[in-house]
Amino acid sequence: MGVVRRVLLDKRVLTGDSIIHRLDPRPKFFFFLWISVLAYVFYDYVLTALFLLVILALAAAAGILRRILLVLAVIVLPGFAFAIPILSVLFPWNETLMFKLHILGFELPLYYEGFTWGLSWPLKIAVCVSSALLFYLTTEPGELIALLFKLRLPYKFIYMVTITLQLIPLLLDEIQTIYQAQLSRGLRTKANPVKRIWNFLALVIPLTLSSLMKVQTRAIALESRGFSAPVRKTCLYDIRLRAGDHLFFSAMIAVTLLLAYLYLLYGFSPIVHLKFYYVAG
Amino acid sequence: MRPLIEAEEVWFSYSEEVTALRGVSLEVERGEMIAIIGQNGGGKTTLAKHLNGLLKPTRGVVRVRGLDTKETPLEELTSIVGYVFQNPAHQIFTSRVYDEVAYGPTNQGLSKEEVDARVEKALAMVGLEAYRDVHPYDLDYGRMKLLTIASILSMEPEVLLLDEPTSGQDHRGIRAVAELISRLGREGKTILFITHSMRFVAELAERTLVMAEGLIIGDGPTREILTDLELLRRAAIKPPQIAELCLRLRRRGIDVDALTIGEAVDAFSRRLGADAPRRAS
Amino acid sequence: MEAVVSFEEFSYSYPTREDVLVDIDFQVHRGEVLGVIGPNGAGKSTLCRCLNGLIPHFYGGRIRGKVIVAGLDTQEHSTAELSMKVGLLFQDPIEQLSGVALTVEEEVGFGLSMLGYPKEVIGERVAEAIERVGLKGLEGRSPYELSGGQQQRLALATVLAMRPEVIALDEPTALLDPIGKYEVFGVLRELASEGSTLMVVEHEIEELAYIADRILLLHGGRILSIDESKRVLSEVSRLKEIGVDPPSVTELTYLLEREVGVALGEYPTTLPEAVRLYGEVLRS
Repeated sequence: MGVVRRVLLDKRVLTGDSIIHRLDPRPKFFFFLWISVLAYVFYDYVLTALFLLVILALAAAAGILRRILLVLAVIVLPGFAFAIPILSVLFPWNETLMFKLHILGFELPLYYEGFTWGLSWPLKIAVCVSSALLFYLTTEPGELIALLFKLRLPYKFIYMVTITLQLIPLLLDEIQTIYQAQLSRGLRTKANPVKRIWNFLALVIPLTLSSLMKVQTRAIALESRGFSAPVRKTCLYDIRLRAGDHLFFSAMIAVTLLLAYLYLLYGFSPIVHLKFYYVAG
Repeated sequence: MRPLIEAEEVWFSYSEEVTALRGVSLEVERGEMIAIIGQNGGGKTTLAKHLNGLLKPTRGVVRVRGLDTKETPLEELTSIVGYVFQNPAHQIFTSRVYDEVAYGPTNQGLSKEEVDARVEKALAMVGLEAYRDVHPYDLDYGRMKLLTIASILSMEPEVLLLDEPTSGQDHRGIRAVAELISRLGREGKTILFITHSMRFVAELAERTLVMAEGLIIGDGPTREILTDLELLRRAAIKPPQIAELCLRLRRRGIDVDALTIGEAVDAFSRRLGADAPRRAS
Repeated sequence: MEAVVSFEEFSYSYPTREDVLVDIDFQVHRGEVLGVIGPNGAGKSTLCRCLNGLIPHFYGGRIRGKVIVAGLDTQEHSTAELSMKVGLLFQDPIEQLSGVALTVEEEVGFGLSMLGYPKEVIGERVAEAIERVGLKGLEGRSPYELSGGQQQRLALATVLAMRPEVIALDEPTALLDPIGKYEVFGVLRELASEGSTLMVVEHEIEELAYIADRILLLHGGRILSIDESKRVLSEVSRLKEIGVDPPSVTELTYLLEREVGVALGEYPTTLPEAVRLYGEVLRS
C-alpha cells in the first residue's frame, strides 16, 4: 500500500513540467509498446540493459527516476534473486558448464544458458514496467482520457479506466476507516489462523458492502446526467502533436532501422551472441 | 484523583502537508457529558481518535486513566474508551444482531456465558432485545445506529465516544439516541459526542468544546458556549433557534433566556404571568 | 398554474419492497418550491427517483399510475432524455461526483458532454452555472479538494448547466457541516427567488421553512398533507406523532398553548416571524 501511494498516487508528479511531460501522450504510449516489443524480440542481456538505461535516462529527465527505481527494486531485484540461481542449475537447455558449486557436500553444476536466461527475463520485465510507468507518470489523466477518445474506444471503457485510477485513494481511505472502526472493537492483529480469517471478514465485508452502496449511488448519479445517452460523447480535452513529438517518432524510426539491420546481420543476440535458442529449436 | 483523560499540548500530522491538531489540551473528568462541535476539518474526529489510542500524538501526550497512549496496548485502551464510528456500514459485518454485539466482548477474551450476558445487557440498554436474531441490514437506519452503539457498550467501556450519532437520522432516531445518551450519563458513564445539531447539544451536554483549525477555541459550560456570539461567529456556528430567538428578543428589551424549548416554555410562561407548566421535565 | 411535475394516481413497489409509494397524486407548479418532509423510510428518496425515470428504468419494480414531467411520461422516456428536463441532487457530496473530472469546470460540464453538446456551448453554460452557485475562482481546482459545502454546490452547478425545468434535491445538506448547510441553503434561496422550480427533501425543517412555498408531508408511502408551508408546519402534534421535528419556534408556541394555555392566534414557522410575534406579546 505504501509503495502504491508513493509511486502511483502522488498528483504533483503528473502535473510536472519537463521535456517528457510536455510530449504528447501518443508518442509516449507508442514508445512503451515499441520498446517492450524490442525487449522481447532481442535476446541479449547487454542490449536489454541498454534499453533500460535509455528509459531510466528519460525518467531522469522527467524527474521521476527515484520512483521508477523504487518499483524496479520491489519487483525486479527479487526476480534476479530467484531466477538466476534456480535457472543456472535447472534450466532445461543448459549445456555450457560455467563452474561447479559445492554446498553442504553437494556438487551443483552452474550453466551459462540458464544464467543468462535468469538475467535476461527480469531485465525484459524491467523494460516493460519502467516504460509503462514513464508513460503513466508523465501523462495527466486528462491527456490519458483524450488519448483513449482518439483511439475510438467505447466511453464505458474509458470511464472504467479513469475511474479506477481516481478511486484508489478514496478506497485506501475507506479501508483505513474500517480498519480503525474494527480495531476499536478489539480486532486483534496477532491471533491464531481461525481468528485471523474472522478478522479478515470483519474488514472485507464492510468494505464490500459500503463500496457496493457507493457504486450504486454513483451509478444513479451518472444516469441522471445522461451517461447512457446514445450519442457520441464530447471530449473535453485536447491533445496535439508538436515538433518535439515528431522528433521523438523520427528517433524511434531511426533506431528501429538500425536494430533491424543488426538483427539481419547478427540475429537476436547482436552483442553477447547467445546461441542456445537454436538448440532449443 | 487525576482526570480520567488528559491531553497535553497534542499535535498531530497525517502527512507533511496536513496538520490536524495544533496543540490541543484537554481534561475529562469521570461522569462528564461533553459535546464537541465545529466545522469539518477542524480536528474533532482526529482528537477523538487520540482518546482511545487509534492515533498517537506526533507531539504531546495523551493519558487515559493515567496510561500514556503511546506506551499502552491498543486492546487495553479500546476497552476503557469505546468509540462508535459515524457510519454503521463501516463496521457491520455479521448476519445477526447478536453476533455483531458479541464481536467486541469475544475479542476481549471473555467466556461464552459472560459474552452472552454482556450482549443481552447491551441490547436491552439500546432497546433492541427483540431484534437479536435479525439481520443487521434489515434494521432501519436509526436502529442500525443503536446497534453500533450496543456493539461498543457490550465491551463495557468506562468512556463512550460517539462520532456524529445524529447524522442521517430523522427526529425519531435522534430522540432515541438522545434518550440513550442521557440515561447512560445518569448511570455515570463518561460520554463525549461529536455533532452538528446544536439542538442536540443544548439538550444534552453539560460541557461543550468548540474546535476549529486544529485547536480548541472554546471549552466551557454549554450555556456559556452557545450564547457566546463572538465564539460561535468565529466557528461559523448558528446557535439553536430558541437561543437565537431569546437573543433577538433581549435586543428588543425583553429579558428572556433559554437554550431549549423546555426552558423557553418556562421562561415565556413566567413572563406572561401564566401558571407554571404542568409538565415535570 | 402550469404543472411541471405531475403525479397521477401513482403507486410503486420496488422488486424487493412492497408499496413504497401509494396513491400519490400531486403537482409541482412552475416557479414554486415544494418541500418534502417525513421520517426516514417514508418514501421521500423514492419520490425523487421517479422524477427522472430512474424509477422504473433503473430500479425495475411495479408501477400504477403515471408521472409526467415537463410533458413527458417518465415510463416512456429514458433517464438520459429526461436528464435535460429534471436535475437530481443527492445526499452524498462525493459519491455523486462523476469521479473522472479533474477540475471543477470539467465536472460541471460532465452532463453536457455525456449528451454530446459541442465544446463551445459547454464552456458557456459551465461558466454561467459556476457563477450561479458562487464557485467562481475555483474552476481549476480538483473536486476532491473542495469542502463538503463546495462539493454540494458543485453538484448543483452540474445540474444547473443542463438547464432543467425542475430540480429535485434529496436531503442535500444531510451530510454537511453547519457552514456547508448555510452555503447550500444560501444558493437554494437565491434559486427560489429567481423563480426556479424546486422539489426539496429535507430534515432541516427550520431552514426549509424559509424557502418552501408548499410542503408535502409523506408517511409510510402516502401523502398525509400537502399545503402551504405554514399550514403543514403548524400541525405540530401530527408532525411529532409520525416522527418529524417542527421548527423549534413552532413547537414552543404549540407547547405554550397546550400546557400553559397561552394562545398566540397563529404559529410562527420562521425566526423573524417568531421574533415579531413574541416581541408584541411579551412586551404587553
